[in-house]
Amino acid sequence: MSWLYLIILIPFLYAVIVPLIFKHIPQIHTGWFVLPIPVLLFMYLAKYVTFVAMDSPFIHSVPWIPSLGINYATYVDGLALIFGLIVTGIGALVILYSIYYLSKEREALGNFYVYLLLFMGAMLGVVFSDNIIVLYMFWELTSISSFLLIAYWYQRKSSRYGAQKALLITIFGGFAMLAGLLMLANITDTFSIREMILRADKTTAHPLFLQSMVLLLLGAFTKSAQFPFHIWLPDAMEAPTPISAYLHSATMVKAGIYLIARFTPIFGGSMEWFWLVSGVGMITLFWGSFSAVKQVDLKAMLAFSTIGQLGMIICLLGLGSAAMYYGPVKEAALCIPAILAALFHLVNHSTFKGCLFMVVGIIDYETGTRDIRRLGGLMGLMPVTFTLAVIGSFSMAGLPPFNGFLSKELFFTGVLNASRLDIFRMETWGMLFPVVAWIASIFTFIYCMVFVFRTFAGDYQPQKLEKINNEPAWGMLLPPAVLASLVILFFFFPSLLAQYLLMPAVASVLPGFVEASLGIGPIEAWHGWTPELIMTIGVVVVGMILFANYHKWSRFYGYIPVWFTLNFAYDSLLVKTEKTFEKITRGYMTGFIRDYLLYIFAFFVVVLAGVILMLNSFAFNPDVNNVSMYEVVLVFVMVVAALMVLLSRHRLVAIISLGIMGYLVAMFFVIFRAPDLALTQLVVETVTTVLFLLCFYFLPDLKNKIGEIGFKAANMAVALGFGLIVTVIALSAQSNRLFETISWFFENSYELAGAKNIVNAILVDFRGFDTMLEILVLCIAGIGVYTLIKLRLDSRKVSSKNR
Amino acid sequence: MIMNNLVAFPLLIPLLAGLIMAIYRKSIPFQRWFSLFSFSLICIISFYLIQQVSIEGIQILELGGWQAPFGIVLVVDMLSALLLMTTGFIGLTCVLFAFGSIGEEREQFYFYPFFQFLITGVNGSFLTGDLFNLFVCFEVMLISSYVLISLGGNKIQLRESIKYVVINTISSTLFLVGIAYLYAVAGTLNMAHLSVRVAESGQPGILTTVAVLLLIVFSLKSALFLFFWLPGAYSAPPTAIAAIFGALLTKVGIYAIFRTSTLIFYHQLEITHTLLGVMAALTMLFGGIGAVAHWDIRNILAYNVIIGVGFIVSGVAIFTPASLIGATYYFIHDMVMKALLFLLGGTVIRIVGSNKLKEMGGLIRNHTLLGWMFFIAALSLAGVPPLSGFIGKILIIQEGLASGAARAGFYWLAAIGLLSSLMVLYSLMKIFINGFWGETLLAQDMEKGDTKGLLLPCVLLTAAGIIWGVGAEIFYPFVEQAGESMVNPNLYIEAVLREVV
Amino acid sequence: METLMAIIIGILFTIGVYLVLSKSLLRIIFGTSVIAHGTHLLIITMGGLKTGGPPLLDGRAVSYTDPLPQALILTAIVINFATTAFLLVLAYRAYSALGTENMDHLRGINDNE
Repeated sequence: MSWLYLIILIPFLYAVIVPLIFKHIPQIHTGWFVLPIPVLLFMYLAKYVTFVAMDSPFIHSVPWIPSLGINYATYVDGLALIFGLIVTGIGALVILYSIYYLSKEREALGNFYVYLLLFMGAMLGVVFSDNIIVLYMFWELTSISSFLLIAYWYQRKSSRYGAQKALLITIFGGFAMLAGLLMLANITDTFSIREMILRADKTTAHPLFLQSMVLLLLGAFTKSAQFPFHIWLPDAMEAPTPISAYLHSATMVKAGIYLIARFTPIFGGSMEWFWLVSGVGMITLFWGSFSAVKQVDLKAMLAFSTIGQLGMIICLLGLGSAAMYYGPVKEAALCIPAILAALFHLVNHSTFKGCLFMVVGIIDYETGTRDIRRLGGLMGLMPVTFTLAVIGSFSMAGLPPFNGFLSKELFFTGVLNASRLDIFRMETWGMLFPVVAWIASIFTFIYCMVFVFRTFAGDYQPQKLEKINNEPAWGMLLPPAVLASLVILFFFFPSLLAQYLLMPAVASVLPGFVEASLGIGPIEAWHGWTPELIMTIGVVVVGMILFANYHKWSRFYGYIPVWFTLNFAYDSLLVKTEKTFEKITRGYMTGFIRDYLLYIFAFFVVVLAGVILMLNSFAFNPDVNNVSMYEVVLVFVMVVAALMVLLSRHRLVAIISLGIMGYLVAMFFVIFRAPDLALTQLVVETVTTVLFLLCFYFLPDLKNKIGEIGFKAANMAVALGFGLIVTVIALSAQSNRLFETISWFFENSYELAGAKNIVNAILVDFRGFDTMLEILVLCIAGIGVYTLIKLRLDSRKVSSKNR
Repeated sequence: MIMNNLVAFPLLIPLLAGLIMAIYRKSIPFQRWFSLFSFSLICIISFYLIQQVSIEGIQILELGGWQAPFGIVLVVDMLSALLLMTTGFIGLTCVLFAFGSIGEEREQFYFYPFFQFLITGVNGSFLTGDLFNLFVCFEVMLISSYVLISLGGNKIQLRESIKYVVINTISSTLFLVGIAYLYAVAGTLNMAHLSVRVAESGQPGILTTVAVLLLIVFSLKSALFLFFWLPGAYSAPPTAIAAIFGALLTKVGIYAIFRTSTLIFYHQLEITHTLLGVMAALTMLFGGIGAVAHWDIRNILAYNVIIGVGFIVSGVAIFTPASLIGATYYFIHDMVMKALLFLLGGTVIRIVGSNKLKEMGGLIRNHTLLGWMFFIAALSLAGVPPLSGFIGKILIIQEGLASGAARAGFYWLAAIGLLSSLMVLYSLMKIFINGFWGETLLAQDMEKGDTKGLLLPCVLLTAAGIIWGVGAEIFYPFVEQAGESMVNPNLYIEAVLREVV
Repeated sequence: METLMAIIIGILFTIGVYLVLSKSLLRIIFGTSVIAHGTHLLIITMGGLKTGGPPLLDGRAVSYTDPLPQALILTAIVINFATTAFLLVLAYRAYSALGTENMDHLRGINDNE
C-alpha cells in the first residue's frame, strides 16, 4: 500500500505545528525542524524512480466531492516524478541554506517556514494531481504562497508592490487557465487529465479548441514569466534570496512548463500550439538574455536570465510538439530530441540556477550589496564561492565540462532539426529559430561572464561595500556545492539521468513515441564535429569578443526610453486604471437622489417599452360604455388637484391639494363599490394630511413658499414615458384577462367564516396573516418614529463604544 | 406535502421575540440573552426543517386552514430551508458582534427588537408562497431596515436614510403595480397557482411584460444593476447593522428573482433570462469598477456586495440545473462571507478610527487573527479553492462556457464573471496590503477602539465559510435538492396545490 | 370606465414621477404619495370595475365586485401610511439636523474622501 498520495498533504499538516515550534523553541533555528520533511519526501520519491521508469505510474484517488467529480486524484508518472524530486530536493537544500541566511533572532521564522511548506505542498499538488479542479486549487495556492513570501518583509513598500504585481498577473493567468480547463472538461466530459488525454481527438475536432488552448497557455505563460508577462519576476526578487532560489527559479516558475508538457498530448500537433509555444518561448529567450546583460543588480540579472532560460525550455517543448503531428513514425524522430532537451534542461537549469542564486545570497550576506558596480575582486576573499560561481555560470553559458554544455548542444540540435521540418510553414520561417537561438546564446554567454568576472575578478573596492567578511558558514556553502557537484555529475553521467528520469518523462509528454524506439541517440559529450558544436564554438568566440568590449557597446541599452518598457506599461496601467475607474464611478454616482431616480425610471421605461414593442403585447379592448357624467367630473377634478400639487408654490396649498386628492380617491372607491375602502381612505388621508402639516408647515425657519418646480426636459420625458407605459400595460392587462379570479371562493364568506362583509372576512380570516404583518409594520413605524425623535446621538455625548 | 406547524416558527419566533423585547427595552442584558435565545431557536428549527424537507419533501402550512390558492400558504422547499438556516446563523453572529459594538444608547432604543423584526420580514419572505404576502413581508423587512439605518440619528445616517427610504418606497409601490397587473391577467396571487396558470397560457406577451416589470422591481431591491442606493446606504449605519444589510437585505431580492424566474416565468427565456444575464454582467462590471476605484473600506465592501449579486444572478440567467446548483452554493457562501467581511472591516475601522486606507497600516502586527481572517475572506470571495466560493464559481463558469447550453453560450457572462473575481481580489487585497501590511502606524495603546468580543463572531463565520468549501460534499445532496425544486416546478406545485384548481 | 381609469392613473404616475425627481424633499414625498394613490386606483381597476354590487352579503345583490383587490388595497393603504409617516418624521429630523430640505445640498460625497 503506497502512501504517495499523502506526500502532498504532509507539508500542509506540518505547517500547522511550525508556528508552535517557533514560539516555544526559539533557541534552535526553526529551520532545523523543518529540514527533515523535504529530505524524507525526497528519499521516498526516489524510491519510485525505478517503478516509473518501467512505465507503471502511481495512481490513486481519494474522493473529496464525488457528486461533482472533484476528487483528490494522484497520478505520478515520469514527468511528475522529475518535478517532485526537484521540488523536494532543492527544497531541502534551500531550507538548509535558509537556516544560515535568516537570523533566528530578527526574523519571523514561524511565518517564513509556514509559507514555504504551504508552497511545497501546493507545488507537489500541482504536479501530482490528475483532477483539474484540484490542480487549479494547488496552482492558485502556489500563487498565494508566493505572494506571501515575496512580501515576507512586508514593511517595505517595494516588497508589497512586487507581491501585488506577482499576485495579479499569476492569478489573472490562473483564471484564464481555469476557463480553459473548464472548456476542456465540457468537451471531454471529465475532470481527469488522463481521461482527457485519452479523449484528445474529441478536443481537436471541437470548435472551442483554439480558445481553450489560448486560455491554458495564458495560465502557463503568466506563471512561467514568459513575454509579455515576465514583468513580475524581477520584482519578485524582493523576496529573501532562499525564496528566489527556490520558487522563482527552480520550482514555481516551472509550473507553467509542467502544464505545457502535461497537455502536449492534447494540443500538440496543431500549428497554433506549435507557433504559440515555440514563438513565445523564443521571444522570451531572446528578450530575457538581452535584458539580463544590462542589469546591475546580480539578482535582477539572474531573474532575467531565468526568464530567458524558461523561454528556452518552453520553445523546445513547442518545437517538439510537432512530433504529435506525425504520430509515432519515423518522421517524428526529428522532433523528439527537442522534448528530451527541454526536460534535460529543466533539471540542469534547476541545478546551476539554484547554485547561482545561493552564490548571490552569499555575496549579499557577506558584503551587504548586490550591485556589480561596487563589487569586484572577491576571488581572493571567497575562493570557494568563486569556484561555485564559475561552475554555475559556465554551465549556464554552455561550456564543458558542465551539464549546461550538454543541454545547450541538445538545444541547438532541437532548433536545427526544427528548421528542417516541412510542416507548419517551417519551410519559410524555420531558419529563424537557429538564428535567434544562436544570438540569444551569445547574450547568455556574455552575462555569465559578467556575473563571474565583474564580481570576482577586477578591482577590489572595499570602500564601496557595506561589510567585509570571508567565506560564509558551511551551511551556506554546502547546498550550492551539492548543486555544483550535480552540474558536473550530470555532464559525466547523463545517461543515468536519461534512462531513469528523462525518457519516462518524454513518454508522458509524447505518449507512444518512446515505445516506438525511434532511435534517439544517447546524450553524449562528443558527437563529432556537428553543426551544434560549431554553433557553440561560435557563441564562445563572439561572446568573448563582445564581453571584452563590453563598455563600448553597452551604451545602446541606455537608448531605450523608460516609458517603452513593459514594466512601465504595467505600472502606469495600474495607476491609470484606478484613476479611470474612479472617474467613471464618480461620473454616475453623483450622490444626488434625483439622478439615481432618473436612471431607475429611465431604465424601467426603456426596458419595458422595448419588451412591449418586441412582443407586441399591447392590446386594447375599448369598453368605455358605462362612463357617467359624475365620473368624468371626478376624473377632471382629480387631474386639477394633482396639477395643483405639482405646480403650486405655496407649501400649504400643495399639502391641501394632496389631501383633496386623497379624498377624491375615496370618492372613487365609493363609486367602485368599495365602502370599507372609502372609509379607511378618508381616515388615513386625514391623518396623513395632519402629519404633513405638522412636519412641513409648523417648522420654524421654513419659508412659506417653496419656489417653482422648474422644468427639466429629461425629467419630463422620463415621467411622461413612465406614465405612458403604466397606462399601456394597464390597458393590455385589462384586455387580457385570461383566467377567472379566485374570488368566487370568498363569496361564501358567511358559511365559511361567519361574516357578511366579504372584504372584512378576507382581511381577518382568509388572509389574516397579511393583516397581522401589516399591523406589525404600523407598529414598527410607530416605535421608529418615537426612536427618531428621542435618540439623537450627535447632540449627546457619544459613548466611546459607539460605531 | 404535509401540514407542518413548524414551518411558521422561523417567522413567529423573531416576531414574538421582538415584541417581548420591545416591552422590556430598558434591560439590556435581558435583550442580549433573549436575542441569542431567539436566534439559536431559529437555527435549531431551520436545521430540523432541512432534515424534514430532505426526507419528506416540501413542507407547507396553510394558514387558517384555508387551502391554497384561497388562503395564504407558507412553503418550505430546500432552497428556503437552506436560506433560513443561513439567516439564523448570520443573525446570531451579527448580534454577538453588536453586543460589543453597537453602543448602549442604541441598545436601549429598540435595536434588538428592530433586528428581530427585520429577521421576521426576511424569514417571512423566504417562507411565503403568496405573492402579495411576499410584498407584505418585504415591507416588514424594509420598514425595520429604515428604522435601523437611521437609528441614532446622526447627520450622515439621516442624509443617507432619506435616499434609501425614498428609493425603496418607490420600488415597493412598483411591486404593487406589478402585482396588480398580474392579478388582472392571471386572477390569483398564490405562487404555485400562478405557475400553473402561466404555464397553461403559454406566457404570452403581456405576461412576459409583467414578468420583466417584476424582475426590474426585484433588481432594484437586490441591487442588481440598479444599485445606486447601496454604497451610500451601507456606509452610514454602524457596523453590525451594515453587516446585516450586506448579508441579508439584497439577498431577499435575489431570492425573489430566483423564485419567480424558476417557478413562474420560465417560458420565455430569450427575454427574461437574457435580460437577467445582461443586467448581471453590467452589475459585475460596474461593481468591479467601483470596488477598484475606492480607497476607503466601506465603499470597497459595498461595491463587493454588488459584484456578488451580479455573480449569483448570472447563475440564474444561465439556467441549467448545474448552474442553478452553483448559484445556490454561491448564494449561501456570499451571505456568510459578506457578513464576515463587513464585521472585519468594521472592526478595523473601530481600531483605527478611520475609514480611509491611506491612514492605516501594519495592523497585522498587533491583530494577527483579524488579518488572517480577512485574508481568508478575501480569497474565499475571489473563489480560490478549497474555500467557500469556489464550487459555486466553478459550476457557474463551467455552465456559462458550455456551448451546448439552452440558448447560445454565455461565454461573455463567464468571462465577465472571471474578470469580476479578479477585481474582487484586487480590491480586497488592497485593503489587506494597505491596512494590515505596511509600517505599523498605531501603537497598541493609541488605538481608538478595542476588539473585545468582536472576534468571536468573525471566527464563527470564517469557520462556517471554510466548512462550506472543504465539506461541500456533505452539503451537496441538500443543494442538489434545492436545485431540483427550481428546475422542476411541478414538485412545488404538487406540494402546495393538493388538488389542482 | 376602465380605459378612463387607465389614463388617469397614467397621468397620476406622470405627475408623481416628475415630483419625485425634483430637488425639494417635500415635493419628493408628495410624489410618492401621488404615485401611491395611482397604485391604489390601479389595483382596484385591475380587479374589474363595477362588475357587481359591493361585497356585502345582505341579500340585495346578485353578483359582487371582486373583493380581493379591495382587501389588498386596504393593506397597501395602511402600509403606505406607515411608511409615509416615517418618511415625514425622517424629513423633519433631517431638516432640523442638516438645516436644509434641498436634496441637492445633501450630496454626501465629501464624507468618504
